[in-house]
Amino acid sequence: MAEWVKVGSAGSVPEGEVTAFGVGERQVAVANVEGDLHAFDDTCTHMQCSLAEGELDGTIIECPCHGSQFDVTTGEAVGGPAVDPVGVFETKEEDGELKVLVGEE
Amino acid sequence: MTAFVVVGAGEAGGTAVAKLREGGFEGNLVLIGAEPMAPYERPPLSKEYLRGESDHVFVRPPEWYADHAIDARFGAKAERINVTDRVVELEGGERVPFDQVVIATGSRNRRPKIDGLDLPGVFDLRYAPDADAIKRAAKEASKAVMVGMGFIGAEVAASLRQLGLDVTVVEFFGTPLERVLGPTIGGAIEALHRDHGVEMFFHDGAKRFEGGGRFEAMITKEGRRIEGDFAVVGVGVEPVTEVAEGGVPVDNGIPVDATLATSVDGVWAIGDVARHDHPVFGSIRVEHFDNAQKMGEHVAKNLLGPTAVFDDAHWFWSDQYDAEIQMAGFATEWDDMVVRGSIEDRSFSAFLLKDGRLLSTFSMNRKFDVRRSMPLIVAKTHPDREQLADPEFDLRQLHPPKEPAP
Repeated sequence: MAEWVKVGSAGSVPEGEVTAFGVGERQVAVANVEGDLHAFDDTCTHMQCSLAEGELDGTIIECPCHGSQFDVTTGEAVGGPAVDPVGVFETKEEDGELKVLVGEE
Repeated sequence: MTAFVVVGAGEAGGTAVAKLREGGFEGNLVLIGAEPMAPYERPPLSKEYLRGESDHVFVRPPEWYADHAIDARFGAKAERINVTDRVVELEGGERVPFDQVVIATGSRNRRPKIDGLDLPGVFDLRYAPDADAIKRAAKEASKAVMVGMGFIGAEVAASLRQLGLDVTVVEFFGTPLERVLGPTIGGAIEALHRDHGVEMFFHDGAKRFEGGGRFEAMITKEGRRIEGDFAVVGVGVEPVTEVAEGGVPVDNGIPVDATLATSVDGVWAIGDVARHDHPVFGSIRVEHFDNAQKMGEHVAKNLLGPTAVFDDAHWFWSDQYDAEIQMAGFATEWDDMVVRGSIEDRSFSAFLLKDGRLLSTFSMNRKFDVRRSMPLIVAKTHPDREQLADPEFDLRQLHPPKEPAP
């Protein structure tokens, strides 16, 4: 069952930035695209690098290792060697907290 | 039904087929590859795969081809592209008709004339079985002898050191990678390997491999005798062009125009084998993974139409120990090199310029500079030296404005 998990404080991901948070066993990245927060699996589906270490350009995050690109709003692999999408999660900020809706792996 | 045939099932050919089908092509789609495996990535063969940290990484899962009605001929040798009859002739006599054909036959390792090159225990690295053979040899060995310190040599040396072997390398030039990177950056790579315990002899090469039935020692041109349990030779590659001969012009690879088309109607070439008329770099043949993949994508788009020019900045990476190396662009000569960061601390980018124009960027452990400089290279920018040298200056500020999405 999916549940809202606090990963940080509200406003902790500035516009244009990406930050990875540990949620249980997994790493979830949160990108701020023009004020909208998008959460996705931080692990690249190509060779398991951390996507949050990469560059965000608009809604596209680019893996720093081998250039795979994902759309942070859908998780879809849109460029580079990765084929499989990354999971995406809902986010919200309330009561000064940044929360991500994650299910069981 | 329209038939597209791709000859060569490496990164370029595999990607072309995948992008054609995923891009909506519903006709006959044939992929012919000499290797028995579905297309897989070669970069891990000298790194993660060689060290036993990863299995093969496939371009698409092996079952994808049948699931998507690809007529995949893995382990089949294409002998000739018959442009008169418009068929690909396979070993054994089968003729595969095409409306459009893409040549993606890649490159093969150079086999220098060295006595004893065929001795058991003398390896080179290109294909998956080569990596398996080196891996097996490394398990029972304590000392490897290597020839060549280009990218493959440097990566294999690093991986073997990480596996705990002693490594001695001879290299023709004065530093690793000197021919492509120059002595300053080459010196930084030499220092990296020296600090990790690789013994290197420069301005030297292999004269002979010796051993009673199996490799035991290399005799060098300078008269050194270097003993070891096995040897790895990495002295560059040459394009695989036989399939084109007699029908499609061949000249240091298969010449293609800016859109990846050869001079023969309906015949294209991509990847290592393609000598591309690049709109920024001029005539260039690139032997790197990212280019193979991007050309595969691009030729698929062009086959589906409309046709567009391929102007990628060319990018590649090379991981050696804990050093993340990247490079973009293309420079055979430069008259200025601006360094950002510290070469000594192994955290730097080097911008190679000619007449003030940025041609190429190299970085070690500075992950954003290379990718951010790519639009500048393609736009033939003349960047300010001080901004290039300033680690705080974000190169994205110099990017040309993006064209609106079509």
